[in-house]
Amino acid sequence: MTKAIKAQHRFFVFCVAPSLAVLAVITLLPSLYLLVTSFTPLNLTRPETAWDFSEPLVSYSALLSDDRLGNSIWVQIKLSFWTVALQLSIGVALALLLNVKSRLLEALRTVFLIPMVLPPIVVAIIWKVIYTPDISPMHGIFRSLGLSVPALITDPDWALTSIIIADTWEWFPFTMLMVLAALQMLPQELLDAAKVDGASPWQLTRHVTLPFIQGVLLVAGLFRLIDSIKAFPLIYILTDGGPGNLTEVTNYYSFLQAFNFSYLGFSSAITVVLLAATIALSWVIIRAVGWGVRVD
Amino acid sequence: MSTLRRRTILGGALGALAAPAVHAQGGKPHAGTTINASCFQTTYFEYLKNYFPQFEEKTGIKVNFTMQAFPVYNQRTDLELSTKGSAVDVCNVTFIYSGRWIGAGWFTNLDTFTRDKKYTPAEWEPQDFVGGAQSAMQNAKGETFGYTWEAGAMIAGAARYDLIEKAGLKMPTTFDELIKVCDAIHNKDNVAAFTADKLHHWNWIPYLMGMGGNVFKAPPENLTPTLATPQAAKSAEWYANLLVKYGPDGILSYSDDQSMRSQMSGRANIRTQAITWMVPLAKHAESTVRQTVRYGLMPAGPDGNFPGSNSHGLGIPAGSKKKEAAWEFIKWALSKETVSTVVKDHGYPSVCRMSVIKSPEFKQVLTLNGQDVASLFLEVLQLGGKTGYMKYRTVPVYPQVGDKINKAMERIATKQQAAPEAMKQAQAEAVQDLKKAGFKVDG
Repeated sequence: MTKAIKAQHRFFVFCVAPSLAVLAVITLLPSLYLLVTSFTPLNLTRPETAWDFSEPLVSYSALLSDDRLGNSIWVQIKLSFWTVALQLSIGVALALLLNVKSRLLEALRTVFLIPMVLPPIVVAIIWKVIYTPDISPMHGIFRSLGLSVPALITDPDWALTSIIIADTWEWFPFTMLMVLAALQMLPQELLDAAKVDGASPWQLTRHVTLPFIQGVLLVAGLFRLIDSIKAFPLIYILTDGGPGNLTEVTNYYSFLQAFNFSYLGFSSAITVVLLAATIALSWVIIRAVGWGVRVD
Repeated sequence: MSTLRRRTILGGALGALAAPAVHAQGGKPHAGTTINASCFQTTYFEYLKNYFPQFEEKTGIKVNFTMQAFPVYNQRTDLELSTKGSAVDVCNVTFIYSGRWIGAGWFTNLDTFTRDKKYTPAEWEPQDFVGGAQSAMQNAKGETFGYTWEAGAMIAGAARYDLIEKAGLKMPTTFDELIKVCDAIHNKDNVAAFTADKLHHWNWIPYLMGMGGNVFKAPPENLTPTLATPQAAKSAEWYANLLVKYGPDGILSYSDDQSMRSQMSGRANIRTQAITWMVPLAKHAESTVRQTVRYGLMPAGPDGNFPGSNSHGLGIPAGSKKKEAAWEFIKWALSKETVSTVVKDHGYPSVCRMSVIKSPEFKQVLTLNGQDVASLFLEVLQLGGKTGYMKYRTVPVYPQVGDKINKAMERIATKQQAAPEAMKQAQAEAVQDLKKAGFKVDG
């Protein structure tokens, strides 16, 4: 390495260092504190537990015997699977339909983006209104048709589904937007070549379009998966984890332990495990799906 | 003979310099101080805010008062108090958290202020506060950490009493009568017979106790949960049935406000809840049931009558650096004169000053739709204070145990579990939580 390149390298490091330092303070320190706390039985009402490392694995061993935590993981799996699957399929389907140059469809694209840009708490309130029979326009329509529909968020058969519907409504535009952007990058020559070879519209989609957007789908899916694990406002406003524990996901359970009951050590242990599981799951998905076709 | 030191002379000189400054503030030693105060959203402080300029004029202390939704306030305050920070100088001591916050030493002992005439004149009379309400603000030694501004007393309110009369019945006085009335009026005129909010660990307990059950073995000394008893299972099933059979659709997701509005709009009839939520039926401008509302005591069970009573008070966080100014605010906000003014001007019903409760003005304010509700209020407060059955609610672990009760009730009401099974699970989870919090339980 020449002297000039070394100097340039040092200059780059010098320029980036402040940002890295800020990032470390904002991101790494809290994460490190979370990890340290998970090895204590920290309870806010007992300050002496803050730095008590006498039994560092006490919170982790408590996780194993906590049935409610086990239930929350199962609820989390169901919620994540259905929301990601629905958001990806609806997003892709709509993006394929809207990938046409037309003023009407361009206007429609903007309309579809509205749920995503609304603050999550507003989305939750909109769905609270929709799901509350006394004031719900949806229930009003059903009543006028002579149909009796139960209050979905308090019905054990519908509570989780109602959260999935609301979450899908809020976030399918994200997938749609990403796929739409990818579709607009698809080289026309690829499609033309396939058409010359006699490919049908379905074959075009199956063998040209989908492999091309595979990488984008992977990123969108991962984003949605990670976000579904962080699901909070809809559950907080609509069901509070209920009825019973039917919509109580792991993230929400961790929140209850920390902020309602003050078990910060236990909550940190849950969060550390959740973080590790999310990273591992993302890695597995990336390995299994791959980034798809690259056209340079 | 003591020698005159340089430090003594300097101290004297500083004192002499400071004296005119205090005079210049016109006897307002805290003039220019700003205190931060907070509470959950409540009518008392909504009303009181109108009089803040008077307090600021009188003392020179500026008050920054913030209010949040009940759960948000409790979460934020719990965290703030645990840091022993100085961000807040006066805050609400929430009933359900009082044992935990006071027990953890997060509040200032107010006896230092009330026992010193320099801070508190005799006519402020701490003894004038209702004893039952104040007990939640004290520790085991009897030291006081808060003074109450709200005494919640659970009563029964029928928004459409006319439907009950039409069925040839009266306000129910027992659990059996309640079911009989609900059977007779449910869905008459499109009105559900009963309504409640989802805070089952408050609403259900009077029914649990009325059927011979309890939450803990002997609170506050023995906190072994008693949720898996036959009485608890029987009562939980009975109450879940009351909600599902006679409540409006979606009742299990009702908040306090939703439940009150279901009565105010005439969509639901009977509710057993604290008086604060009942008075608007007769007084709120948006109420459609002002001419038909009727009140009564909470119905009694085979084992007696245990209406819920609670209280919220103002206290000074241990970390506050402006404790004296904070006490000035509490002293003013809860003085006989201020409380009386809020009652007279706004009809606030849940006061804790005995002298105000017994005043003709209070009686007049709480004469609702021709009925003397003031005496019902006093009766409940006395019931609550007499036998101490509300002690279960101020123990430090009640938030955790209450959560288990809420979840169990939802599982029973939605038929996910039978009552004995759900209560057994609640018991196991409560025991696990108590152990996690470092409490000993029997067995």
